[in-house]
Amino acid sequence: MSDAVLAFEGIGQDFPAPGSQAPIRVLDGLSFEVASGKFVAVIGPSGCGKSTLLQMAAGLLKPTRGTVRHRGRLIDAVNREVGFVPQQAQLFPWKTLSENVELPLLLRGIAVAERRQRVAEALASVGLSGFEDYYPSQLSGGMQKRGSIARTLIYRPDVILMDEPFGALDAQTRMVMQHDLQTLAQDAGATILFVTHDITEAVVLADSVVIMGQRPSHLLATIPIDLARPRDVFEPFRNPGYEAAYDAVWSVFRSQINIRHRAPAMEATP
Amino acid sequence: MNDLVATAEKPADVTVSAKPRGDWAHRLLVLLPGIALLAFWQWSSGRLIKEIYISKPTAIAQRLFELFASGEIYPHLWTTGQELVMGYGIGVAAGILGGYALGRSPRLARIFEPYVMAFYGVPKIALAPLFIIWFGIGVGSKVALASIMVFFLVFYNVYAGVRGVDREVVNLALVMGANQRQLTYHVYLPAAAPYVILGMRMAVPYAVIGVIVGEFTSSIQGLGLFIHEASSTYDPAGVFAGIVILLAFVVGANAVTGRLERRLLRWRKPSGQGPSDI
Ligand SMILES: Nc1ncnc2c1ncn2[C@@H]1O[C@H](COP(=O)(O)OP(=O)(O)O)[C@@H](O)[C@H]1O
Ligand SMILES: [Mg+2]
Repeated sequence: MSDAVLAFEGIGQDFPAPGSQAPIRVLDGLSFEVASGKFVAVIGPSGCGKSTLLQMAAGLLKPTRGTVRHRGRLIDAVNREVGFVPQQAQLFPWKTLSENVELPLLLRGIAVAERRQRVAEALASVGLSGFEDYYPSQLSGGMQKRGSIARTLIYRPDVILMDEPFGALDAQTRMVMQHDLQTLAQDAGATILFVTHDITEAVVLADSVVIMGQRPSHLLATIPIDLARPRDVFEPFRNPGYEAAYDAVWSVFRSQINIRHRAPAMEATP
Repeated sequence: MNDLVATAEKPADVTVSAKPRGDWAHRLLVLLPGIALLAFWQWSSGRLIKEIYISKPTAIAQRLFELFASGEIYPHLWTTGQELVMGYGIGVAAGILGGYALGRSPRLARIFEPYVMAFYGVPKIALAPLFIIWFGIGVGSKVALASIMVFFLVFYNVYAGVRGVDREVVNLALVMGANQRQLTYHVYLPAAAPYVILGMRMAVPYAVIGVIVGEFTSSIQGLGLFIHEASSTYDPAGVFAGIVILLAFVVGANAVTGRLERRLLRWRKPSGQGPSDI
């Protein structure tokens, strides 16, 4: 309990539904914790409220019911101790790569000399040295994503929130990024809350997987993944114990997918 | 080794020297229709249409030369120039401030948008006589008319630009540690810059229209008055000479704002899509 960095306690969220008086209930009584130094993956079907959870952790959205705490402190304003890596890299197009990565330090009033040095280190750690003066539009999708990660790592946030960060990348780039993220997270001892809809990605990266159900969603299960590190992200099935871990997640997740499969089939039968 | 260097450098050399040449060819191509039009004008004047209606290019050039040589035009230029610069400057500044304030604050926008919308619909030219009554027949009324025309264009572009800033980008900056001032400087202003500049470019001809209409309505000095007097004394060469000077001003102002655009927006892809032009 005390070593929890983030604690979600009985979270509920309603959103106003367009064209209807009754609000939509998106999250319904959800509780889990993210322990220090852990990599927690959240999976769930699209629209179940995964991004909404991250918004709450960042203090950008106040839950309708329940509370989110960061190291025991109630989050009731923008939480500047988290880092946020969105689905699209969202580097600021009017700044060069190095200006983008430098920005959090600049905003936090860190001196020029230290900024320079840390920018160089951060860019080197994601393999982008030499691209300092490129504008985001001149970089590939994968490079922009690396930049986005460097921009987050540079100020060493207490927790890193990642919202399907590799969803838009091609399969090869994604595997390389997963590999690098694993290394970076381990080296930094970072605490990560990672949203994805890809079971393989969740199992191969995470220390534990939080599974959410259909809307209005609650927690279906939290499954610990005790595979040895470093893990092979390129050929996940080669990790000893991988299949059992995947099955444990899949057996919970399957129930959600079956519902979706059947619905149109039943309509089709006369 | 030396050979390699030489051959490696050659293509670069070719492209460097080929570029200005292509540029010149392009410029010549652009000038061609203009030259053809002038030639046709010169030829048809007195042949197809009486010279008293359309003058002719050589007469206009002659007239321009006289106007500058005698110094007759300078007071008019000075007055109109002042009105243009002040009207444009005030309109742009007010448009940016107003558009930014309403763009950032949904509450302000809800209160003031209906009013701005209503005034937007008023044909500003119809205000010219009123402004003469309020601000006199001097510089003031022309500045007012030009700045109000410029204001609305810039206002709407900046307002749309600021409102269009991606919420996720703003949230990212907040989480990274931005306060309101930093948010303005690092996110809102650069994100809205393409719209600000588009508004500024579109507003140049409107400043000219505002000033000239004001001078037509009532004035003591200025290019508008000069053109008005030339036309009422059946002096087409004088009218055209005045128009040529206005044209030169607009072209010059466009070059300045174009340069500003290239400087401020160099982060955009050459093919990058900005806000659409009308
Ligand atoms: N600001 C909002 N207003 C209204 N509905 C919203 C808002 N944000 C999210 N939603 C709704 O909440 C649900 C969950 O959204 P989200 O958290 O983005 O899902 P996920 O990331 O799991 O795909 C969706 O159905 C979405 O339409
Ligand atoms: Mg999402």
